[in-house]
Amino acid sequence: MTDSKKIMPTIDCVSSMDREAIKNGLSRGASRREVMGWLMAGGATIAAAGSIVSSATSAMAATPKKGGKITFASDLHGPSDTLDPGLGTSTIDYTRARTHYNGLTQFNDDTSTRPELAEEYSANANNTEWTFKLRKDVKFHDGSAFTADDVIYSMGRHYGDKSTSVAKTLVADVTEWVKVDNHTVKAVMAGPNGDLPKILATSNFKMVKDGTSEFQNPVGTGPFKLKSFQQGVRSEHVRFEDYWREGANADELEIFAITDKVARTSALLSGDIDLMQALDPKAVPQIEAADGVGIWSVASGAYIGIAMMSNSAPGNNPDFVLAMKYLQRREKIVRSILKGQGTVGNDQPINVAYGPDFCADLPIRDHDLDKAKFHLEKSGVTEAEIQVAEVAPGTTDICLLMQREAQKIGLTLNINKVPNDGYWGAVWMKTPINVTTWNMRPTANVMMNLAFAPTAPWNDSLWSNDRMGELLIESRAVTDMGLRHEMYCEMQKLIHDESGMIIPAHRNYLDAKSDKIEGITRMPLGSLGGYEWPEFAYRTDV
Amino acid sequence: MQRMVIQRIFIGLVTLWVVSVLVFVGTSVLPGDVAQIVMGQSATPETLAAYRAANGLDQPLYMQYATWLGGMVTGDLGISKAGGASISSLIGGRFGNTMFLAGVVAIISVPLSVILGLIAAMYPATWIDRVLTFGTLSLISVPDFFIATFMVLIFAVNLGWLPAIAHISPEDTMMETIRASAMPLITLIIVVSAQMIRMTRAGILNVMNSPYIEMSILKGVRRNRIIVRHAFLNAIGPIVNVVALNLAYLVSGVVIVETIFAYPGLAKLMIDGVQTRDLPLVQACAMIFCGTYVILIILSDVAAILSNPRLRNPK
Repeated sequence: MTDSKKIMPTIDCVSSMDREAIKNGLSRGASRREVMGWLMAGGATIAAAGSIVSSATSAMAATPKKGGKITFASDLHGPSDTLDPGLGTSTIDYTRARTHYNGLTQFNDDTSTRPELAEEYSANANNTEWTFKLRKDVKFHDGSAFTADDVIYSMGRHYGDKSTSVAKTLVADVTEWVKVDNHTVKAVMAGPNGDLPKILATSNFKMVKDGTSEFQNPVGTGPFKLKSFQQGVRSEHVRFEDYWREGANADELEIFAITDKVARTSALLSGDIDLMQALDPKAVPQIEAADGVGIWSVASGAYIGIAMMSNSAPGNNPDFVLAMKYLQRREKIVRSILKGQGTVGNDQPINVAYGPDFCADLPIRDHDLDKAKFHLEKSGVTEAEIQVAEVAPGTTDICLLMQREAQKIGLTLNINKVPNDGYWGAVWMKTPINVTTWNMRPTANVMMNLAFAPTAPWNDSLWSNDRMGELLIESRAVTDMGLRHEMYCEMQKLIHDESGMIIPAHRNYLDAKSDKIEGITRMPLGSLGGYEWPEFAYRTDV
Repeated sequence: MQRMVIQRIFIGLVTLWVVSVLVFVGTSVLPGDVAQIVMGQSATPETLAAYRAANGLDQPLYMQYATWLGGMVTGDLGISKAGGASISSLIGGRFGNTMFLAGVVAIISVPLSVILGLIAAMYPATWIDRVLTFGTLSLISVPDFFIATFMVLIFAVNLGWLPAIAHISPEDTMMETIRASAMPLITLIIVVSAQMIRMTRAGILNVMNSPYIEMSILKGVRRNRIIVRHAFLNAIGPIVNVVALNLAYLVSGVVIVETIFAYPGLAKLMIDGVQTRDLPLVQACAMIFCGTYVILIILSDVAAILSNPRLRNPK
C-alpha cells in the first residue's frame, strides 16, 4: 500500500498555482469529486487525479499546531441540552458528546469505521455475533481505567421499558451484551447485521462510566474535560492531558449557540466565533466575499422530502403521487433554492454520499409536465393541501415552486404554512400531505430501514411494501458485493417508483469557519464534518 | 397608606396565583408535550412512555400542578422536565444577567429621559424640542432588532470595536463586562428612553393646561419654575407608571436583544420553556415576571401617592 502510493503523483507534482487552487477549492468546500473533475478536465487520469487530491487533503491536515481556544456556535440550544449521550438530539449535543466521550468505533470521512475504544472488532461468519477487544490504556477524566463493565453499562442504557434512549431501536436486534473478560465484550444478535460497527460509531452510543446516572458533570474518556456546562448558555472544555491518543490540539473549546442566523453570521465575520453551524444558503455570497472566513460545505445524503400519506386521499392514489413526482424541477431547486449547496434527489433516500450502495443506474426522474398532467387526469384529483413548516432551509420555497408547477397542469395546490414549533408531534405523519427532513444515516440499510421499512415507526408516508421489508433484512446477511448491490438497487427502485415520498433534493451540510481553523473533518453524517472535528481541529495562528 | 400597601401586596399574591393557573392551562393545551418535543422526529410510542414515566408526566394535570405549587410554596422550583437540570440552576445565572442589564439600563435611561423630557417641555416648539420629538418618534418606530443588528454590523463587523456577542461571566473584569455588554445596553437604552422622554414631555404639558398653572402664570411666576415646582410634581404619577412599565419590560420582554447578542437572560429562557412545553420552567419564569410587574406597580403607586397628597384620601 505504501509502496504503490510512492509512485503515484502527489500534490507536489502540480504547479504552485494549481496547488493553491486545489487546496483552496478543497478548503472552501469543493468535494473531492469536483476537484478531481477539474484535474481530469486538464488531462489527468482518474487514478492520478485521485492521488493528487488525497495528498492535498492530507498535506492540509499534516501540520496541526497545539494551543489556543476554539469557539463554536451552533444554531440551537436550550434547557434540554444534555451531556447524556443516549438523549442527545441536536448538533450541540452531538458535538459535546464528541468532545467529552469516545465510542467503541469511529467514523472516517467516507463513513467507513475505524477502531476507537475498541482496538479491534470482528464478526463471526454470518454476522450474528460481534466481538470487541477494548484498548487497555484508556483512562476516564477521573483517572479510573476504562473496562468492559463500562461498555456493558453504557449499552445497557439503551434497553428496557425504562430506557429513554432516542436510539434504542437501532440496537434492538442485539439480544445480549456479554462481558467475555475485562477487555472483551461480545454482542449477540437476533439476526445478521454487518452494520453494527457503524451504528456504534454514532453519537448516542458514546461510552459513559459504569454507574453514571447524573449528567450535569459526568466523566468521560474524551479528548476534553468539562470545565463548565450551563444548559442553553454555554459549555467550556479544557484539553485532557492523560488522553489515550495524541489528544486534542486546542487548549480550550467553547461551545454555545446563537439562535439568530444573521447574528451568528455576524459573529463569525467579526471574529468572535471561529466555527459556525448552519449557514443560510442565502448568505453564501456574503461569506465568500469576506476576508478570513470560508464556507464548509459537505455533500451528504440528508434530504428534504414531501410525504403523501398512503392511508388517506389523495396520497392513496398512485397516479396522483406520480403526477406530483413529475412536477419537481430538481435541477432548479438545487441551483436556485439551495444555491448549489446540494445534489439532485431521485425520490429515494440514497445518493452518491452512501458510496457503493447507491444505485447510479436508476435514471433521474425529470421534470415532465405532460406525464404529470396525464397522471393527474387519470387520478381525477383537482385540489390538494400541503402542510409546510421550514424543517430545513429551503423547504417552503420548494413547496412554493411545486405550487406554481401544479398550476400549469390544472392542480390547485394549497400551501398551509405551519410553525416549526410542535411540528413533529402534531403535523408530521398526521396530515395527508406534509414535509419532512432526514439527516444522513451511517448506512443505506439503516436509512431505508428507519424511513421505508413496512414496520418502521417513522415511515413518513406509511408506505408498506412486503418485498421492501424482505430485502432490508436479507441484504444484511449478504456478503457477496455484486448481489448486495443488486438488492440495494432493487430497494431504491421500489421506493423511487412506489412510495409516497417526493425527494427533490439532498442538501449539503453547509457551515462556515474562520480561515485560522484547520483540521475540520468532512464526514457527511452531520454538521461541520459530522461533529468529528473537536479532537482534530487546530488554530493556525498560535 | 400602610393599609393600602398591604392590600396591594395581597392583591399581588392573588394575581400571581391566577397567572400561575392561566400559564399552566395555557401551556398544557399547546400541541405536543415535553416528551414529544424533546425527542422530536425520533420519538416512538415506547420511548415517549418511558420519558413520561421518568419525568412524572404521566400524572394527571391537576396533580402536576399541585406538586409544582407545593414545591413553589416551600421554595423548591423543581426540575426541568426537558433536560433534568434543576430550575434554580437554570434561572440562577440568568436572573443575575437580566437584573444587571435592566439595572444598568434603568440607572442611565430613567434620569436621562426625565431630564430630556423636562427640557422638551420647558421649551416647546423650539428647535431643541423638535429635535427631541423627531428623534424619539423615529426611534420608537424602529424595531429593536433593527437597531441591534445595525449596531452589530457597524461596531462589530465593520469597525471591530465591540464584540458581536455579549458574553459576560463572573470572572470578567469591570472593563470586560462593560465592553461585552455595551451593545445590548445601548440598544435597550435607546428603546426605552424614547418612550419615557415622550411620556414625560406629554405628562408635563398636559398639566400645563390646568387652571392652577394659568393662575401662576398670571401671578408672574417664571415658566421654568412653574414646570419644576408645580407641573413636574403633579405629573410624577403618570411618569412613574410609564417608568415602571418600561422597567418591567426590561426584565421580561427583551427576548430579541437577548437572542441577537446571545445574552443569556430570563426572557429567552421562558420562550425556550414554552417551546419545549417545560411546565415547571415556564411557571418559574412567569412567577418572576409577574412578581416584577406587581412590585414595580406597587412602588409606582406609592411614589405617585407620595408626590400627590390628594391621592391619599380617595373619595
